[in-house]
Amino acid sequence: MRQPLRRRMTRSFAALSLISVLMLPAAAPAAAADPVVLRVGTVQPLDAINAYLTEYFVGYEVFTLNYDLLVGYGKNAEPAPGFVQSWTQDGNTWTFKIRPDLKWSDGTPATAEDARWTIQSLLDGQAKNGVGSVGAGYLDLYLDYATVQSVTAPDLQTLVIKTKTPNTQILTSYIPILPKHIWEKREIGKDPNDAPVVGSGAYQVKEWKAGEYVRLVRNPYYWGPKGYEDEIYIQFFKSDAAMAEALKAGDIDYARNVTADQFQSLTGLPNVVTVESALSAEANAFTQINYNTYSKPIKGGGASTKALQDPAFRDALGYAIDKQTLVDKVLSGHGLVGSTIIPPAMAGGAWHLEPANRRTFDIELAKKKLNTAGYILVDGKRLDKEGQPINLRMVVPASSASYSASAEFITGWWKQLGIQMTTQSLDDGAVSALEKAPENDPPGKADFDVVIWNWAGDVDPNSLLAILATSAIGGNSDTFFSNPRYDQLMLLQASEPDPVKRKVLTDEMQQLAYDQAPYDVLFYDAALHAYRTDKFGGWQLQPEKVGLPLFGYGSPGYNTLTAPVPLATPAPSIQAPASTAPGASAAAAAPVPSGSASGGGSGASTGNSNSLLLLGGVALVIAAGVVIFAAMRRRRSAKDEE
Amino acid sequence: MGSRYLTRRILQAVLTIVGIVLLNFVLFRMMPGSPERISHNPHASVAARAALRERWGLDKPLFPDQFIDYVTATVQGDFGESFKFKGKEVTTVIAGRVWPTLILFGLGELIAIVVGLILGAYSGWKRGGPVDYGGNGISLILYSMPYFLLGMILLVIFATTLGWFPTAGMFTLGQTYSSFADQVLDFTRHLILPLAAVSLGLIGQYSILMRSSVIETRGEDYVTTAKAKGISESRVLRGHAVPNALLPTVSLIGINLGFIIAGAITVEVVFSWPGLGTLTQEALEARDYPMLQAIFLILAITVVLANLGADIVYGRLDPRVRT
Amino acid sequence: MRLASWRDFVRRLVHRPEGLVGLVIIGVFTLLAIAPWLFVGPLETVTNASGRRLEPPSVSHLLGTDNLGRDVLNLTVHGARISMLIGFLATLVTIVIGALLGIVSGFVGGRTDTVIMRITDFFLVLPTFVLALILAPIVLEIIGSGEVLGMRTTLIVIVVVIGITSWATTARIIRSQTLSVKERAFVDRARVIGAGPWHTMRVHILPNVTGLIVANAVLVFAGAILTETTLAFIGLGDPFAPSWGQILGASQDAGAPGLGAWWWYVSPGVCIVLVVLAFTLIGGALDDLLNPKARRRR
Repeated sequence: MRQPLRRRMTRSFAALSLISVLMLPAAAPAAAADPVVLRVGTVQPLDAINAYLTEYFVGYEVFTLNYDLLVGYGKNAEPAPGFVQSWTQDGNTWTFKIRPDLKWSDGTPATAEDARWTIQSLLDGQAKNGVGSVGAGYLDLYLDYATVQSVTAPDLQTLVIKTKTPNTQILTSYIPILPKHIWEKREIGKDPNDAPVVGSGAYQVKEWKAGEYVRLVRNPYYWGPKGYEDEIYIQFFKSDAAMAEALKAGDIDYARNVTADQFQSLTGLPNVVTVESALSAEANAFTQINYNTYSKPIKGGGASTKALQDPAFRDALGYAIDKQTLVDKVLSGHGLVGSTIIPPAMAGGAWHLEPANRRTFDIELAKKKLNTAGYILVDGKRLDKEGQPINLRMVVPASSASYSASAEFITGWWKQLGIQMTTQSLDDGAVSALEKAPENDPPGKADFDVVIWNWAGDVDPNSLLAILATSAIGGNSDTFFSNPRYDQLMLLQASEPDPVKRKVLTDEMQQLAYDQAPYDVLFYDAALHAYRTDKFGGWQLQPEKVGLPLFGYGSPGYNTLTAPVPLATPAPSIQAPASTAPGASAAAAAPVPSGSASGGGSGASTGNSNSLLLLGGVALVIAAGVVIFAAMRRRRSAKDEE
Repeated sequence: MGSRYLTRRILQAVLTIVGIVLLNFVLFRMMPGSPERISHNPHASVAARAALRERWGLDKPLFPDQFIDYVTATVQGDFGESFKFKGKEVTTVIAGRVWPTLILFGLGELIAIVVGLILGAYSGWKRGGPVDYGGNGISLILYSMPYFLLGMILLVIFATTLGWFPTAGMFTLGQTYSSFADQVLDFTRHLILPLAAVSLGLIGQYSILMRSSVIETRGEDYVTTAKAKGISESRVLRGHAVPNALLPTVSLIGINLGFIIAGAITVEVVFSWPGLGTLTQEALEARDYPMLQAIFLILAITVVLANLGADIVYGRLDPRVRT
Repeated sequence: MRLASWRDFVRRLVHRPEGLVGLVIIGVFTLLAIAPWLFVGPLETVTNASGRRLEPPSVSHLLGTDNLGRDVLNLTVHGARISMLIGFLATLVTIVIGALLGIVSGFVGGRTDTVIMRITDFFLVLPTFVLALILAPIVLEIIGSGEVLGMRTTLIVIVVVIGITSWATTARIIRSQTLSVKERAFVDRARVIGAGPWHTMRVHILPNVTGLIVANAVLVFAGAILTETTLAFIGLGDPFAPSWGQILGASQDAGAPGLGAWWWYVSPGVCIVLVVLAFTLIGGALDDLLNPKARRRR
């Protein structure tokens, strides 16, 4: 009985192996000329290549490479030519001119009709489902901020947008223009936009392996300056430590967001330049304490004490936080002490306000203020106005060690005030679940007292200011702040066209928010990036001198890269731009092979990775078969012996 | 092997899988935090979040609507669209990430078995000698070490300090290969360290198992008899000790499968190996229900099938187990 | 197999070299775990960190410091308390549930047995680690924050989660043993006399499976420590009451291997290996003691 079985199995294994080998494609032919590849590393995995679906920074980076924004960003994040070449404003009418030779990456001419179609589709989507409802709802909101009313394209090179108010926000909006001939059969908010992507930007997504990498290749028809690289790989690492190691080893050319310790170990290495920027797009963010100020009682939830609803209480607690120590110890000095909710990094400091009556670190003063506000100390315990000892529950997300470290410090200081503290670290999803109020859908119980988290802003202050508006309750609000004057100012500043007048309004909002203290902004983290200079040169900081080369506003940094520039002296920690005019130097220095040559070689290599895995699988099956075989033969020979 | 037994086992396996499918639905939705709120982006408006929930079918009532949708889809093999990787089919994403894990742990287990059994046999044979103590000691220590710790140490020594191997990933990105062999070489270079971590972590159990089997066998009466008859010790060893160790080895493989998943997640994190383990972690963070349901189901089915397979092989190998 | 007395049992265990080594190691760590503050003072936090960042081992900091300046020796010794406590409690939960279900299932038999065994088999098939990752936030939400009996709720959550995912193997093993004990004569006699099932289980079955329960508990303890370590490494640890796994995870997140700060992860790593090794040695020795001639597994 055994013999035939064995023979059958032998034959089937042989057949299997033969078939598998035949299925393997032939070896890849050598490429004509190897493309120049830029490798960028980040820990944040890309979630979508449809610009209107992505929710993450890395997604913005990818779509600004793929598509032109209506109006782009320049060297200092100022409005610069994007899809449009120039613009004029006449009251509520904006006239944009589009360059006549603009093309999509598939060669089709790109005209004002594409822009008109994109914007009109967004407006139609809003009309159907409300503002902020196209795709993930992030980008069509910009049309709302800019109060866009209608859009027309009188001729192929002219686009006319009419707004409801004469504000200038249309110039700082993220509105990627999509090719009509491709998207008119698709739904903007739903289509996955499978690779290869067609756009008018400098590099087009050719391949996306979710969670591994995304690969972009040069758009041969791009109108702007040409960077040295033919292809860009953005690799998604599982830890920033692995990413830093990869940069050290030269496996990647750019590392986004390394830790303070890694930053230090990278500084000074040959061919590596580290960049710290407190004023770049990445640093346009703050880490804050948000208090639960929800004013109505919630069954089975809500804050543990009414004291949290009292601005005097929150203000007093603010005097018991030593923000400088937090920056020194938690951020290792890589950051700025926090104050108002508009970070200094926004638009080069144009909006940030240094508040009046700044809170200092003074425990005794904090105690005095608590007493004055009616929160007295009895038996070493601080009581609220209901006579109950105050026990604050602090929750921090586990995603970053800086939150738990800050929490430990703050817990220590507040305990000196006689306040009992319970601190807990939860995963991000659980924290966001806690922060939901009954107004949210699905409703939550707002079962927390204090959370430490962060928010990131963009070029316009609108998005960050909106979080503290009453309308944000049930949406983004994680503090449930509601102040009529704040809401009034919010509406006024959103429609104010004159930046000077607008600043007066936003200043008042920032001061109000600082005094009322639903948030206590702890610090503005600096961004820590690093890059290599042995494969690429021409790295330019955006904004100039104080920003970062990549992951800025728009993606101009990719187009200024050149062949490596030999440095006479070891590179300093923060690098000044090497060349002056990006367009001129890049075009002169880079002998650029056209896109078609790069397609063949690299295509074969990634195609073969699948066959390689198949080979591995086959080897596995064969090896397993051999082992089982040997086992059965042993068994049999043992039986023979007995 | 009785076909009634086989039928019963298969029926049990099917029932278990049905149970998992049901459990899947409830389990992930019990986790606090809903998927549309994970990104913490200030631009997300109420309308956008509502639109996402509607797109994902989360706005319908849990029972019966969502449940029925889920069951009908699963039965047809439609695992849906990922919440995290918007627009991508769950099956596409998983298909791309299963192979790396399979190769890493499949090869790792194989190497561990072969080397472990040899090591254990040698160790048990030369019982009491320095080889035994050394080998046994090393096996015990490796057995007690979490896989990822091994991984961290190997990484530090061989990748960071000596620079012999790359520190992360499966391939060098953006590389053009002039031949297939080059590509295999690149893959192998990236595979060696994580493979070593996995194999070393698993070797211990198999070598300990084999060692005690060999020691037991040597003590048996028929060994003395066989030696008296002139049959060589090594032949006796091969004929009896090895088969004796195979039965528990087979059941060990089944047991191991569960722990391998734990190892997968941590080892893959240490080496940035783009496999199923890291995918699971990403999906958990993002509360990506469709992805999690699919992964959980695949893992459970694998264990069920492996146990079923182990039982069948066990039955073939050991004539005592029949009904 | 019944042993003459516990003292005799321990004496025989100590006589075997692996048993002795194992017991000594466990003894040392238990001592450290009971009162860590006696040896290294109170737990160092960021607020009272005693050193500078990432200092290598020196006279003032025997095991160096971590990236927040905390003394690694201090963290490791305090970590012993958390890790051992979790291991102990998780083992307790696992053994109680597993042994209870195993004995009842094996003794009562019939439909109860079938039902319990189906449930057990189901749990055996579930990917336990992934299940643990999923259950942790759910259980944490149910229990809430704060302290229970001086232990932070995160610790209790890990204990519960390990218990839920580990009891099935124990139940199976104990059930097998119960089945074989059940066949013995004196049990039948007890039934004939009219002793109730609970009485029989407690007085006749239990003492005969105790040896196996202890042997199994030892291995469960080792497994619990490994599981806790892995869970904490992934990020389920409590940064405010760090266990060895949490220290390892924090060191990995900060990139300690690449930064050359080997002391930070080797210290908790060595402790984990030592404790798991010790329990494995004891478990092996117990196995030999209880079944001198029987096969090693199954």
